[in-house]
This record gives sequence, C-alpha cells and structure tokens, in this order.
Amino acid sequence: MSEPALLRQAVRLARRELRSGLRGFGVFLACLFLGVFAISAIGSFTAAAKTGLLEDASALLGGDLEIRRVHRPLSPAQQEFLDARGRRSEVIELRSMAGNPERDLRVLVEVKAVDEAYPLYGELRSDPAQPVSRALQQRGALVEAALLQRLELQIGDPLQLGDISLRINGIIKLEPDRQLRAFYLGPRLLVSRASLEASGLLRPGSLVTYRSRLWLSDPEQAEPVVQQLEEAFPEAGWRLRTWRQAAPRVRNVIDRLGANLTLLGLCALLIGGLGVSGAVRGYLGGKVMHIATLKCLGATGRTVLGAYLLQVLLLGGLGTGAGLLTGAALPYLLEWGLGERLPIPLHPAFYPEVLAKAALFGLLIALLFSLKELGIARRIPPAMLFRGYAETGHKDPGSKIWLAIAVTALLLAALAIFSSADRRLAGWFILGGTLCFLAFRQLASGLVGLSRRLPRPVNPSLRLGLANIHRRGSPATSVLFSLGLGLTALVMIALVQANLNDLVSDTLPEQAPAFYFLDIQPDQVHAFEKRLANLPAVQQVQLYPTLRGRITAINGVPVEQAKIAPNVQWAVRGDRFLSYAANQPDSAQLSAGRWWPAQGNGKAQLSLTADLAKGFGVQIGDTLTVNVLGRSITAEIANLRIVDWSTLELNFALLFSPGVLENAPQTYLAAVHVPATGGNRVYRTITGEFPNISAISTREVLVNVARTLNRLGIAFKAMAAVALLSGFLVLAGTVSADQHRRIHDAVIFKVCGATRRNILLAFAAEFTLLGLAAGALSSVTGSLAAFGILKGPMDIRFSLHPPVVLTTLGIGLLLTLLLGLLGTWKALGQKPAGYLRDE
Amino acid sequence: MSEPIVSINDLHLSLVGGAGPVNILCGIDLTVSQGETISIVGPSGAGKTTLLMALSGLERPSSGRVRVAGVELGDADEDQLARFRRRHIGIVFQSFHLVPTMTALENVALPLEFAGRPDALEQAAIALEATGLADRVAHFPGQLSGGEQQRVALARAFVARPSLILADEPTGNLDRETGQKVIQLLFDLQADIGTTLLLVTHDPQLAGRCQRSLRMADGLLSPDDGSGR
Repeated sequence: MSEPALLRQAVRLARRELRSGLRGFGVFLACLFLGVFAISAIGSFTAAAKTGLLEDASALLGGDLEIRRVHRPLSPAQQEFLDARGRRSEVIELRSMAGNPERDLRVLVEVKAVDEAYPLYGELRSDPAQPVSRALQQRGALVEAALLQRLELQIGDPLQLGDISLRINGIIKLEPDRQLRAFYLGPRLLVSRASLEASGLLRPGSLVTYRSRLWLSDPEQAEPVVQQLEEAFPEAGWRLRTWRQAAPRVRNVIDRLGANLTLLGLCALLIGGLGVSGAVRGYLGGKVMHIATLKCLGATGRTVLGAYLLQVLLLGGLGTGAGLLTGAALPYLLEWGLGERLPIPLHPAFYPEVLAKAALFGLLIALLFSLKELGIARRIPPAMLFRGYAETGHKDPGSKIWLAIAVTALLLAALAIFSSADRRLAGWFILGGTLCFLAFRQLASGLVGLSRRLPRPVNPSLRLGLANIHRRGSPATSVLFSLGLGLTALVMIALVQANLNDLVSDTLPEQAPAFYFLDIQPDQVHAFEKRLANLPAVQQVQLYPTLRGRITAINGVPVEQAKIAPNVQWAVRGDRFLSYAANQPDSAQLSAGRWWPAQGNGKAQLSLTADLAKGFGVQIGDTLTVNVLGRSITAEIANLRIVDWSTLELNFALLFSPGVLENAPQTYLAAVHVPATGGNRVYRTITGEFPNISAISTREVLVNVARTLNRLGIAFKAMAAVALLSGFLVLAGTVSADQHRRIHDAVIFKVCGATRRNILLAFAAEFTLLGLAAGALSSVTGSLAAFGILKGPMDIRFSLHPPVVLTTLGIGLLLTLLLGLLGTWKALGQKPAGYLRDE
Repeated sequence: MSEPIVSINDLHLSLVGGAGPVNILCGIDLTVSQGETISIVGPSGAGKTTLLMALSGLERPSSGRVRVAGVELGDADEDQLARFRRRHIGIVFQSFHLVPTMTALENVALPLEFAGRPDALEQAAIALEATGLADRVAHFPGQLSGGEQQRVALARAFVARPSLILADEPTGNLDRETGQKVIQLLFDLQADIGTTLLLVTHDPQLAGRCQRSLRMADGLLSPDDGSGR
C-alpha cells in the first residue's frame, strides 16, 4: 500500500476511535498539563523578569551610566569630564542609625542622599504624592513605611539622624533605582545632600558609597564614555557600569534559578511520562481485541501504529497546549495580582521561544513514553480473537521502535542541555535522572522479587497484600517507580533547604557576636571601649581598623583574566573590608607561612584565608594587588589562615602587615558578644551615646537571610510538589487502570468467603508495603542527591535531618495509602451478584 | 431425622432493571436433605442462577426465608454471609471465574486462606492432585485449557469440604467430552466428601444423574416430570 493511503487510513481510524471521547486519558492529559505548565510558567516568568529588567535598565541603574566609588566623591576634574558629556546626578549612600527623639528608639537605616537632578530616569512615588525636591527641602525626609512602624512615628513627626532632626514628609511607594538585593539591613531613608552633610555622618573613612549617574542624549554612547573615563582616570578605583549591565547579579540569579527550577519541572514531566505510558498501555489494553479484529480484516501493523500514534500526538498536543497557555498566563497573573509589590519589574508577554521549548518537552515526553506501548500494539497477533485467556502477544515492541525510543530520548536530553542557562547542571541532571530512573527500575523489580521470596505471613490479608505486590500484572513496579521519583525530589529539596537553614540558625547562639558596630571613628575608639567595659553584659569585644578595597590583580594578572574558582568569585566582585594587625589574632590558625614581627619588617605583606588562596591558586610568596582609595598596593602573601566563616566571628579575608594602611582614612569595626538578655541595653547605650556609630544586630540579619532563603525555598518546594503531584497522578492512574482487576478479584474473594475487612486489609497492606518501600528508597536517593548538590556546586556542610526525611516520607506514605484505598473503594463496595450476572 | 441442609419458604426476589422491577423468584419452597444431589433445569431467564445466588448469600431475598446449614441468610449482614460461604458453600461457575493473576494453587487456596488455615497451600495442592492437576499447580489460568480451568474451579469449590456445592452450568463452556470428564469429577468429589449438590443445567442427561430433578419456570419451582417443558 502506498504511504498516502496508509496515512489516510490511519487518520480515518484515529478519527473514528476518538469519537468515543477522552475516557481513560484523564491521567495522560493531567500529567502532560502539569509538567508543561511548570516548564512554561518558569520560562515565561524568567523571560518576563529579564525583559522587564532590560526595559527598566536605565531607571534601575539610575542613569545610562553609573560610577560607584566607596569613601570618596568624584574629583572636580572628574565631575567636569562627566558634565561635558551629559546630565549628572550625585547620590550618596550609607548606613546609619535613625531615632525617634521623643522615645528611646533607634534603628539602622539605609540612608540615601540625592541632589536636585534625581531621578534621572523614572519617577519616585511617595504618599502623599509630591515632587522629591519639595519633599526633601529644609531637612525634609521620605521614609519606607517599615521605619515608621519600628520607630512608632507618623508623617510629620521629627526623626533624628546624626546631629540633625529631620521632618518626615511622606512614605516612599516606589523607588525607581532601588537596588535589587535579596535583603536590606534596614529601611530606606531618603534625604537631601544638604541634610546629610549637616548630619555630621560624612566623616573620613566612613563607609559611604558615592554614585554618580549620567544621563546621555544617546544611551548607545554609554560604552564609549566608559572607555574615555578609563583612559582619562586609570587609577580612579571606581566601578563603572552602563545600563546594559544593570542588575547583572539579579539577571544572573534569575537565569540560575530559572535553570534549576526548569530542571525540577522537567523532573515532574518525566515522572508524568510514567502516567502517559500507563494511560496509553491501559487504553491499548482495552483495544486488544479491537486491534486483532482490524488485523483480521486486513489492517497492517503500520496502519495500527499510525492510527494510535496520531491519537497519542493529538491528545499530547491537547495536554501540552493547555499547560502552555496556563504557564504563559502566570506572569500576567502575577503582574495583575501583585503589581508594584513584585521585587523585580515584570514584562508579561508570550515568549515564543519559551513556549516552543515547553511544547517540545511535552510532545517528546508523550512520544517517548508511549512508543513502546504503540510498538507492542502494532504486533498484536490477529489469532488473539480465537483464544480466551491467552497471552496478549508480544511484550517487545521490536527493534525499530526501540531505535525510535532511543532517538527521542537523545533529542529530549539535547533539548534539556542546550536550552538551559546552565548546561553543565543540565548535563548532570540528565545523567542523575537517567541513573535514578534505572536505579528505581532495578530496585522496584528487585523489591517485587524479594516480596515473592519472603516467608508467607500468617495473617491472610497481609499474605494477600504481599501476593498482590508480586503477582503478574501487579502495578507495584509502576507505583514504586513514580512515587519513588516524586518523593526523591521532595526529600532532596527538603534536605537542601534544611541544610541551608542550618547555616543561618545553627551557629548563632553559640559563637556569633550579638552586634557589629560600624563607623567608629579613630578618635572615638577609646571612649567606645571604655563605655563597653562599663556594661556588665558585654562578654567579649573584637575591634579592628577597617578600610574598603578591591582586589585588582593576582600575581600581577588582572582579576578579570585570572583563573578563579567559582566558590571564591565573590572576593573579587567588589569592595571588601580590609584590616591590618600587628599580632596574630587569638582565633587565627595558620595553615601555612609565619606571622610577621609585631613592628613589621618594612615590606607590604598580607595574611590571606586558606580558602581564598586555594580558589585563587596562590601560595606563600605570591602577590595580590589591592586598590584602596584609588591607590594600588601590591603585597606579598606571608601566611594563610584557616577561617570558619560560619561562626560569624569578626574575620577578614585580607589582613595586612603593619606599616601599610595606617595612614589611610579609616574607621573601626567592632564585634560585641552579649548574651541575649543584655543585648537591648548595649544596643541602646551605644547608639544613644554615639549617634554616628551604626549597629547591626546579627540576629536580625540572620532572620532576614533565613526569610530570603525560605522565599526561594518556596519556589523550589513548589516545583518538587509538582513533581510529587505528578507521582501521585501516576499512582492514581495506575490504581485506576488496575481497578477492573481489583473489582474482579474482590468479587471472587467474596465468593470464596472474604469479608470486606479481609479485602480492605489486603489492599491496605499492599499500599502500605509499597509506600514504605518507595519511601525507604527515596530517603536514600533523595539524601544522596541532596548530598551531591550541597557538597558539589554549593560546597556546604551536609547533615542528614532524620525528622525532615521522616516527615516527608510520612506524608508520602499516608497519601499513598489514602489514594490507593480511595481507588479500591469501588472494588470493596462491589456487589458480587450483579458483577457475576453481568459477566 | 437431621435438619435439612437447605430450607426455603416462600422466597420472592425482584431486581430493579432499566424498565422497572422484575420478579425473578416468585414464591419458592424447597427443602434439601444433607448429601442429596438435586438438579434444576429450565429455560434461560427462569431464575435458576438467581436461586443459586440466593442460596449462597450473594443475592438478598425480597421476602421469604432462606436457611442453609442452620444459618438464616435473611438476618445476616454482608460479612456474616462471607463467613457463612467460607464455611459452608462451594460454587462452580459456568465461566470458571478464576483470578487470572494467581496460579492454580493460589486460586484453590483462597477459601482456606480466608478461613485462616495455615495449611491452605498444602490442602490446595492435595485438592488439585485429586482433580488430576498435580502438574499444573504453578500455571496461571491463561496457560490452562477450558477443561483444566474448570477442574481448578472444582478443586477450589471442594477444598474447604463445604456442606453445599452450588454448580451453575459447569459444563456450559466446555465441549461434550471434556464436560463429561468434569461432571464425573464433580460427582466423584461429591461422593467422596458426602456433600450436598445443587446443579443447574440445560442437559437432561446430566440432570438425570441427580437423585432429584426440579424444574424452574417463571420464577417457580416444581418437580421435573422429564417432559422438557
């Protein structure tokens, strides 16, 4: 028969078959819908966020170009240079304490002082609405609502900042150039430059960030201006960014989050594939006689394959399409529901590339997981019609179908890897996923085999339950497989999050200082120390001079060109706190080299932490170049220190030898250990008596970090829940496909004298055993996966959290049992007489 | 004289179908002594199978009394009926009704397993041996011929040595020769344990092998005069 005729026949057959509706395809559609929805929702959200960031790039950056420098404003020559090229706006940022002068209340605030030109892009919205310049004139201030709450203030009230009293003129509703950070140390306080200068907080060495923004008539000129600036002021020690580089970390984080979440979505889709396979098997199982009849009447295997493949693709398209539409609608819903409360600007749209990727994933999964069943159906022998209980023909779809399955799997893997923002991670995921699939398959068959060899329990229900697991056609393998994979994802995510939470909560009560005090002026050190000595609650004080500086070269190689391990990239990304010490600190443990003489030895030397040395690939005698206040200092590494950052003690990655930094403008940083009960008094005393000193509460910071981690955790848990939901859908599908057999068995059991309790207990025993086995396996695979993630890419200490694992598994077990019994309820209630009569 | 194994008084049974209630049994009276063999003949739809179901507690009477092996079936709940069946009743169906995913041995052991007998498998093996299927214990129903499947069903019905065997056209799905072998086995097993047999059949010759033959027509039972009406 020619090909067009074959296709025509297949289409005709498919059309007639589909007339009977979508019965039996609920799980098929739901599994595809869920998986494709997850992938397209994540993709659409990521794309909307990235487009939004790019669209608002200039507003986010505050200009077409930003020059950021710590400690020092631009020189008159630099200002002149910029003014010749565009409109300039100066913004000063620092952290300080703000207080309610009527009450003894003070909190750390993020102060931002702006000039008349602010904002160059966008609009600052406040309540009540007013122009920024008017709100800030004559010591006026705009604040975030949280500040009013914490200081028990209202609009119109006075607010103490340094030496001056401000008047609160409104609440900030939208700050166009808000920095997209995961958390802030305090609420925002917006003032004029004149107010800040009058406050007395701008002292030499204070940790002040100067941001100079430039508006250009042609934003495309941003890069040439950057180049000119670099050439004109090579030693300026600033950081230059154009609108194209706005929020690079946020975009990077969004990309990485998107890649990770997409892989979890793919995990859900893969588990859903088992549901697809089960549904197709069930559907074709009910069509065996029908197919045999068609073949008796002259249909070829290819016609049969074509007809049912078309149906699968059509239904796959339906499930995928529904998932795509719902997923694509998510950014619109978020924008509509949350609007300006979203931490990043969203640009909802239909992103064809994202949707095409999700659609391909859906269709490839539908194909991958139905090809085997279609191949088996293709080989149904027509002689089936003449046998009663006879076997249903071949169980092997044939070599061509196996080849098609292999090609589809490779296409899927290629799509997953090449469409991911993190190909290495995607590659590991594919490898891990494949191994997990194979392991679960083997373990599931192994467990079924083991149940066959176990001694027969005395209890008849338990015996029947156990027998149900290993009998032919048992859904055990499928249940173990789907549930196990879903639970693995959930255990993995729960353990990763629990370990991340450990990082921020475990160490606090033991070793961490209660407060860090910043911006202590050199002339205040004596008074500060004396005041602390008079406070009985203070247990320990660590005090260091600090400066800000940036590592610019390693052994003379600029950091942009140096090979630096990913886990220490943070150290070269921006300004870091530096210090110097004559004597070896008590807590420092040297892993290499020797400490310098207390009076120094005339050379610029430094003490580096061992983790940075490893990540930079440097040893004793190598050099690092650090830019401090525009001056480059090259120092030789004299020794390496082992530092456990998780203790939160005051440690510096770079400690210089004496005689190098003493003359640079600097302030002091103190870490103060206080028991929880005495903390409040220490905080009030110091911030009350030293208005320019900022206090950071470690507990508050950690709570803030934990909150951020939890927010991220929600996204990951939601994805893992989607994977588990897919697992349950597969379980529901498997139980439902098996229902006919269960009803038949239940009727025969009743005829043979089984009570409803006997039958219920047998089914309960079966599902409990399956749930326990799936749970036990997943606790091992999920823990291994979490261990791999934490010790591999994250490089974080791993500890097994038995309660987390047990809770996750307990929920999994309970739901399995409930779902299993719900599915068999019909079998239990079946009246034997009616069933036997119909048979 | 000992109590009859079956005692039915004025049994009525109606089923609700799509077109309203249908009266299947319309006042049956029957007494059967222990060890008796009785055949029930009659046209299709006369209510023969329904009578067997009522006797096994699988169908509830609309009115009247059914007492089997000293148990009033009308008073028993579903689980009591299940326990009654496991103790007193063995059923042989026309279409065998084996559990396709269980081996012959497991199928036969089922009633003993539900009764909590620890030697269920050993007894099932003996029962299968008695039906000539010692070499088929590990086979699944799909791997057995129709005759073999019915012999497994016979072994399952007799394995708990019930006081009443109900056989519903046990040869209906078998060829004549195989059917005769199965029937011979049925009577042999019945004679071995001295159980009571109620046999529904269309075959007058088979009916003739029973001690008493009854005719069911329009929901009523009467002695069979052999006229075939």
